[in-house]
Amino acid sequence: MDEQITLVIDEELSYWDTHRFMLLIIATLIISVVLVSVSIFMYNVSGAAQLDLSRPDYKSVSDKVIRTDTVTDYSAYGPVTKSTVNDFTTIYDKQAQKAKTVDAFNGDPLNPEVLEFSDPTITSEQ
Amino acid sequence: MNTRIRLVVFAMVAASLLSFFALKNTYAADLSDDQIGRIKSNCLAIKGSLNQLHATDALLRVNRGQIYESIGSKLMNNFNSRLGNNGLDNKGLIVVTSEYQKALTTFRLDYLSYEKQLSATTRVDCTQDAIGFHTALEDARTKRGLVHDDVIRMNAFIDDYRSAVSDFMLNYERVTGKN
Repeated sequence: MDEQITLVIDEELSYWDTHRFMLLIIATLIISVVLVSVSIFMYNVSGAAQLDLSRPDYKSVSDKVIRTDTVTDYSAYGPVTKSTVNDFTTIYDKQAQKAKTVDAFNGDPLNPEVLEFSDPTITSEQ
Repeated sequence: MNTRIRLVVFAMVAASLLSFFALKNTYAADLSDDQIGRIKSNCLAIKGSLNQLHATDALLRVNRGQIYESIGSKLMNNFNSRLGNNGLDNKGLIVVTSEYQKALTTFRLDYLSYEKQLSATTRVDCTQDAIGFHTALEDARTKRGLVHDDVIRMNAFIDDYRSAVSDFMLNYERVTGKN
Protein backbone atom coordinates (compact mmCIF):
# COMPACT_ATOMS: atom_id res chain seq x y z
CA MET A 1 0.00 0.00 0.00
CA ASP A 2 2.80 2.44 1.00
CA GLU A 3 4.80 1.54 -2.11
CA GLN A 4 1.82 2.35 -4.28
CA ILE A 5 1.42 5.77 -2.68
CA THR A 6 5.13 6.57 -3.10
CA LEU A 7 5.00 5.56 -6.74
CA VAL A 8 1.98 7.74 -7.41
CA ILE A 9 3.76 10.77 -5.84
CA ASP A 10 6.92 10.14 -7.89
CA GLU A 11 4.98 10.02 -11.09
CA GLU A 12 3.12 13.26 -10.41
CA LEU A 13 6.26 15.38 -9.67
CA SER A 14 7.95 16.81 -12.75
CA TYR A 15 11.70 17.51 -13.03
CA TRP A 16 11.25 21.18 -12.12
CA ASP A 17 9.07 20.28 -9.16
CA THR A 18 11.71 17.89 -7.83
CA HIS A 19 14.49 20.48 -8.16
CA ARG A 20 12.60 23.61 -7.29
CA PHE A 21 14.64 24.36 -4.14
CA MET A 22 17.86 24.12 -6.14
CA LEU A 23 16.29 26.33 -8.81
CA LEU A 24 15.31 28.88 -6.19
CA ILE A 25 18.89 29.05 -4.91
CA ILE A 26 20.35 29.34 -8.44
CA ALA A 27 17.84 32.03 -9.41
CA THR A 28 18.59 33.95 -6.20
CA LEU A 29 22.32 33.78 -6.89
CA ILE A 30 21.89 34.96 -10.49
CA ILE A 31 19.68 37.88 -9.42
CA SER A 32 22.19 38.83 -6.69
CA VAL A 33 25.12 38.76 -9.12
CA VAL A 34 23.20 40.89 -11.63
CA LEU A 35 22.15 43.44 -9.00
CA VAL A 36 25.65 43.65 -7.49
CA SER A 37 27.16 44.08 -10.99
CA VAL A 38 24.70 46.88 -11.79
CA SER A 39 25.42 48.64 -8.48
CA ILE A 40 29.20 48.37 -8.93
CA PHE A 41 28.84 49.71 -12.47
CA MET A 42 26.76 52.64 -11.20
CA TYR A 43 29.22 53.23 -8.34
CA ASN A 44 32.07 53.58 -10.83
CA VAL A 45 30.24 55.49 -13.55
CA SER A 46 28.34 57.97 -11.35
CA GLY A 47 31.52 59.37 -9.80
CA ALA A 48 30.72 58.04 -6.32
CA ALA A 49 33.89 55.92 -6.44
CA GLN A 50 35.97 59.06 -6.89
CA LEU A 51 34.45 60.64 -3.78
CA ASP A 52 34.58 57.53 -1.63
CA LEU A 53 37.52 58.25 0.65
CA SER A 54 37.03 54.98 2.55
CA ARG A 55 38.74 53.20 -0.36
CA PRO A 56 42.19 51.75 0.44
CA ASP A 57 43.86 54.20 -2.01
CA TYR A 58 42.68 57.12 0.09
CA LYS A 59 43.48 55.69 3.51
CA SER A 60 46.15 58.37 4.16
CA VAL A 61 43.65 61.24 3.83
CA SER A 62 40.36 59.68 4.96
CA ASP A 63 40.67 61.19 8.46
CA LYS A 64 41.05 64.71 7.04
CA VAL A 65 37.58 64.88 5.53
CA ILE A 66 35.37 67.68 6.81
CA ARG A 67 32.42 65.57 7.96
CA THR A 68 30.07 68.37 9.05
CA ASP A 69 28.60 70.77 6.55
CA THR A 70 29.51 74.18 7.94
CA VAL A 71 27.38 76.18 5.48
CA THR A 72 24.35 77.69 7.22
CA ASP A 73 21.09 77.11 5.40
CA TYR A 74 19.47 80.44 4.49
CA SER A 75 15.69 80.21 4.71
CA ALA A 76 13.82 80.52 1.43
CA TYR A 77 10.80 81.90 3.31
CA GLY A 78 10.36 85.16 5.18
CA PRO A 79 10.36 88.89 4.49
CA VAL A 80 12.95 90.73 2.44
CA THR A 81 14.29 93.74 4.29
CA LYS A 82 17.66 95.44 4.47
CA SER A 83 18.33 93.51 7.66
CA THR A 84 17.52 90.07 6.13
CA VAL A 85 19.61 90.82 3.04
CA ASN A 86 22.47 91.90 5.29
CA ASP A 87 22.12 88.62 7.21
CA PHE A 88 22.39 86.78 3.90
CA THR A 89 25.43 88.71 2.72
CA THR A 90 27.20 88.05 6.04
CA ILE A 91 26.68 84.27 5.66
CA TYR A 92 27.47 84.39 1.94
CA ASP A 93 30.69 86.38 2.34
CA LYS A 94 31.89 83.94 4.99
CA GLN A 95 31.29 80.93 2.73
CA ALA A 96 32.70 82.68 -0.34
CA GLN A 97 35.83 83.42 1.63
CA LYS A 98 36.09 79.72 2.59
CA ALA A 99 35.64 78.62 -1.01
CA LYS A 100 38.31 80.97 -2.29
CA THR A 101 40.86 80.61 0.53
CA VAL A 102 42.48 77.62 -1.16
CA ASP A 103 43.28 77.87 -4.86
CA ALA A 104 42.24 74.28 -5.44
CA PHE A 105 44.05 72.23 -8.10
CA ASN A 106 46.53 75.01 -8.77
CA GLY A 107 50.18 74.47 -9.62
CA ASP A 108 51.49 71.84 -11.94
CA PRO A 109 52.44 68.77 -9.90
CA LEU A 110 52.32 66.54 -13.00
CA ASN A 111 54.97 68.58 -14.74
CA PRO A 112 57.96 66.36 -15.68
CA GLU A 113 60.23 68.83 -13.89
CA VAL A 114 58.31 68.37 -10.66
CA LEU A 115 58.32 64.61 -11.11
CA GLU A 116 62.06 64.80 -11.81
CA PHE A 117 62.33 63.18 -15.18
CA SER A 118 62.55 66.29 -17.36
CA ASP A 119 65.37 66.78 -19.82
CA PRO A 120 68.04 68.78 -17.90
CA THR A 121 69.34 70.39 -21.11
CA ILE A 122 65.89 71.85 -21.90
CA THR A 123 65.44 73.07 -18.32
CA SER A 124 68.78 74.87 -18.27
CA GLU A 125 68.05 76.54 -21.61
CA GLN A 126 64.76 77.92 -20.26
CA MET B 1 27.28 56.59 -54.74
CA ASN B 2 28.34 53.68 -52.55
CA THR B 3 31.94 54.17 -53.61
CA ARG B 4 31.77 57.80 -52.62
CA ILE B 5 30.40 56.95 -49.16
CA ARG B 6 33.10 54.32 -48.74
CA LEU B 7 35.76 56.86 -49.69
CA VAL B 8 34.40 59.39 -47.19
CA VAL B 9 34.32 56.77 -44.41
CA PHE B 10 37.82 55.62 -45.32
CA ALA B 11 39.09 59.20 -45.28
CA MET B 12 37.51 59.83 -41.86
CA VAL B 13 38.99 56.66 -40.38
CA ALA B 14 42.39 57.45 -41.89
CA ALA B 15 42.27 61.01 -40.53
CA SER B 16 41.38 59.74 -37.03
CA LEU B 17 44.18 57.17 -37.08
CA LEU B 18 46.67 59.69 -38.40
CA SER B 19 45.82 62.24 -35.71
CA PHE B 20 46.05 59.51 -33.04
CA PHE B 21 49.50 58.41 -34.19
CA ALA B 22 50.62 61.99 -34.72
CA LEU B 23 49.65 62.82 -31.13
CA LYS B 24 51.38 59.72 -29.84
CA ASN B 25 54.51 60.53 -31.81
CA THR B 26 54.47 64.12 -30.56
CA TYR B 27 54.66 62.89 -26.98
CA ALA B 28 57.24 60.30 -27.99
CA ALA B 29 59.30 62.96 -29.78
CA ASP B 30 59.22 65.08 -26.59
CA LEU B 31 61.09 62.38 -24.72
CA SER B 32 64.83 62.00 -25.02
CA ASP B 33 66.54 58.65 -24.41
CA ASP B 34 67.84 60.11 -21.19
CA GLN B 35 64.31 60.96 -20.05
CA ILE B 36 63.03 57.52 -20.98
CA GLY B 37 65.86 56.05 -18.94
CA ARG B 38 65.03 58.29 -16.00
CA ILE B 39 61.34 57.40 -16.13
CA LYS B 40 62.27 53.72 -16.06
CA SER B 41 64.78 54.06 -13.24
CA ASN B 42 62.60 56.41 -11.11
CA CYS B 43 59.39 54.58 -11.92
CA LEU B 44 58.60 53.61 -8.33
CA ALA B 45 59.30 57.09 -6.94
CA ILE B 46 57.21 58.77 -9.68
CA LYS B 47 54.32 56.40 -9.04
CA GLY B 48 54.60 57.12 -5.31
CA SER B 49 54.25 60.85 -6.04
CA LEU B 50 51.27 60.20 -8.31
CA ASN B 51 49.54 58.06 -5.69
CA GLN B 52 50.07 60.78 -3.10
CA LEU B 53 48.69 63.43 -5.47
CA HIS B 54 45.75 61.13 -6.25
CA ALA B 55 44.83 60.97 -2.56
CA THR B 56 45.33 64.69 -1.77
CA ASP B 57 43.35 65.74 -4.86
CA ALA B 58 40.51 63.41 -3.83
CA LEU B 59 40.46 65.05 -0.39
CA LEU B 60 40.47 68.48 -2.03
CA ARG B 61 37.61 67.44 -4.32
CA VAL B 62 35.49 66.23 -1.39
CA ASN B 63 36.13 69.18 0.96
CA ARG B 64 36.04 71.97 -1.66
CA GLY B 65 33.20 70.29 -3.56
CA GLN B 66 31.09 70.24 -0.40
CA ILE B 67 31.51 74.01 0.02
CA TYR B 68 30.73 74.71 -3.66
CA GLU B 69 27.63 72.48 -3.56
CA SER B 70 26.35 74.15 -0.39
CA ILE B 71 26.85 77.69 -1.70
CA GLY B 72 24.69 76.83 -4.71
CA SER B 73 21.96 74.83 -3.00
CA LYS B 74 21.76 76.40 0.46
CA LEU B 75 22.52 80.04 -0.24
CA MET B 76 22.01 81.06 -3.88
CA ASN B 77 18.88 78.97 -4.56
CA ASN B 78 17.29 79.83 -1.22
CA PHE B 79 17.94 83.56 -1.56
CA ASN B 80 16.53 83.54 -5.09
CA SER B 81 13.44 81.72 -3.81
CA ARG B 82 12.97 84.20 -0.99
CA LEU B 83 13.03 87.11 -3.43
CA GLY B 84 10.64 85.24 -5.74
CA ASN B 85 8.28 84.43 -2.86
CA ASN B 86 8.13 88.15 -2.03
CA GLY B 87 7.39 89.07 -5.65
CA LEU B 88 10.75 90.77 -6.16
CA ASP B 89 12.81 90.76 -9.33
CA ASN B 90 15.38 87.97 -9.04
CA LYS B 91 16.09 87.36 -12.74
CA GLY B 92 19.67 88.66 -12.62
CA LEU B 93 20.47 86.46 -9.63
CA ILE B 94 18.85 83.41 -11.26
CA VAL B 95 21.01 83.88 -14.37
CA VAL B 96 24.21 83.95 -12.29
CA THR B 97 23.04 80.93 -10.23
CA SER B 98 22.30 78.99 -13.41
CA GLU B 99 25.78 79.75 -14.77
CA TYR B 100 27.30 78.77 -11.44
CA GLN B 101 25.42 75.44 -11.46
CA LYS B 102 26.63 74.78 -15.02
CA ALA B 103 30.22 75.49 -13.93
CA LEU B 104 29.74 73.15 -10.96
CA THR B 105 28.49 70.37 -13.26
CA THR B 106 31.49 70.90 -15.55
CA PHE B 107 33.78 70.78 -12.50
CA ARG B 108 32.26 67.44 -11.41
CA LEU B 109 32.67 65.94 -14.90
CA ASP B 110 36.17 67.31 -15.44
CA TYR B 111 37.31 65.99 -12.07
CA LEU B 112 35.83 62.57 -12.91
CA SER B 113 37.71 62.54 -16.20
CA TYR B 114 40.95 63.69 -14.52
CA GLU B 115 40.70 61.11 -11.75
CA LYS B 116 40.11 58.31 -14.25
CA GLN B 117 43.09 59.43 -16.30
CA LEU B 118 45.36 59.70 -13.25
CA SER B 119 44.28 56.23 -12.10
CA ALA B 120 44.94 54.88 -15.60
CA THR B 121 48.40 56.52 -15.54
CA THR B 122 49.32 54.83 -12.27
CA ARG B 123 48.36 51.48 -13.81
CA VAL B 124 50.81 51.88 -16.73
CA ASP B 125 54.03 49.94 -16.14
CA CYS B 126 56.60 52.72 -16.53
CA THR B 127 59.53 50.31 -16.29
CA GLN B 128 58.34 48.71 -19.55
CA ASP B 129 56.36 51.41 -21.36
CA ALA B 130 57.92 54.80 -20.56
CA ILE B 131 56.42 56.51 -23.64
CA GLY B 132 52.91 55.20 -22.91
CA PHE B 133 53.30 56.34 -19.31
CA HIS B 134 54.44 59.80 -20.39
CA THR B 135 51.52 60.11 -22.83
CA ALA B 136 49.03 59.13 -20.11
CA LEU B 137 50.70 61.55 -17.69
CA GLU B 138 50.50 64.47 -20.12
CA ASP B 139 46.81 63.72 -20.63
CA ALA B 140 46.22 63.71 -16.86
CA ARG B 141 48.17 66.97 -16.58
CA THR B 142 45.94 68.64 -19.19
CA LYS B 143 42.81 67.37 -17.45
CA ARG B 144 44.01 68.65 -14.07
CA GLY B 145 44.49 72.06 -15.69
CA LEU B 146 40.86 71.96 -16.81
CA VAL B 147 39.72 71.22 -13.25
CA HIS B 148 41.69 74.25 -12.03
CA ASP B 149 40.07 76.40 -14.73
CA ASP B 150 36.65 75.21 -13.49
CA VAL B 151 37.56 76.26 -9.93
CA ILE B 152 38.56 79.73 -11.18
CA ARG B 153 35.30 79.98 -13.11
CA MET B 154 33.21 79.00 -10.07
CA ASN B 155 35.04 81.54 -7.90
CA ALA B 156 34.29 84.20 -10.51
CA PHE B 157 30.57 83.29 -10.43
CA ILE B 158 30.62 83.47 -6.61
CA ASP B 159 31.90 87.06 -6.95
CA ASP B 160 29.36 87.81 -9.70
CA TYR B 161 26.53 86.63 -7.48
CA ARG B 162 27.73 88.85 -4.64
CA SER B 163 27.79 91.85 -7.01
CA ALA B 164 24.28 90.94 -8.21
CA VAL B 165 23.05 90.89 -4.60
CA SER B 166 24.57 94.35 -4.03
CA ASP B 167 22.91 95.63 -7.23
CA PHE B 168 19.61 94.15 -6.10
CA MET B 169 19.94 95.89 -2.73
CA LEU B 170 20.66 99.25 -4.37
CA ASN B 171 17.60 98.92 -6.61
CA TYR B 172 15.47 97.71 -3.73
CA GLU B 173 16.43 100.69 -1.58
CA ARG B 174 15.84 103.09 -4.45
CA VAL B 175 12.40 101.67 -5.23
CA THR B 176 11.18 101.29 -1.65
CA GLY B 177 12.97 104.37 -0.34
CA LYS B 178 14.19 102.39 2.67
CA ASN B 179 17.72 102.94 3.95
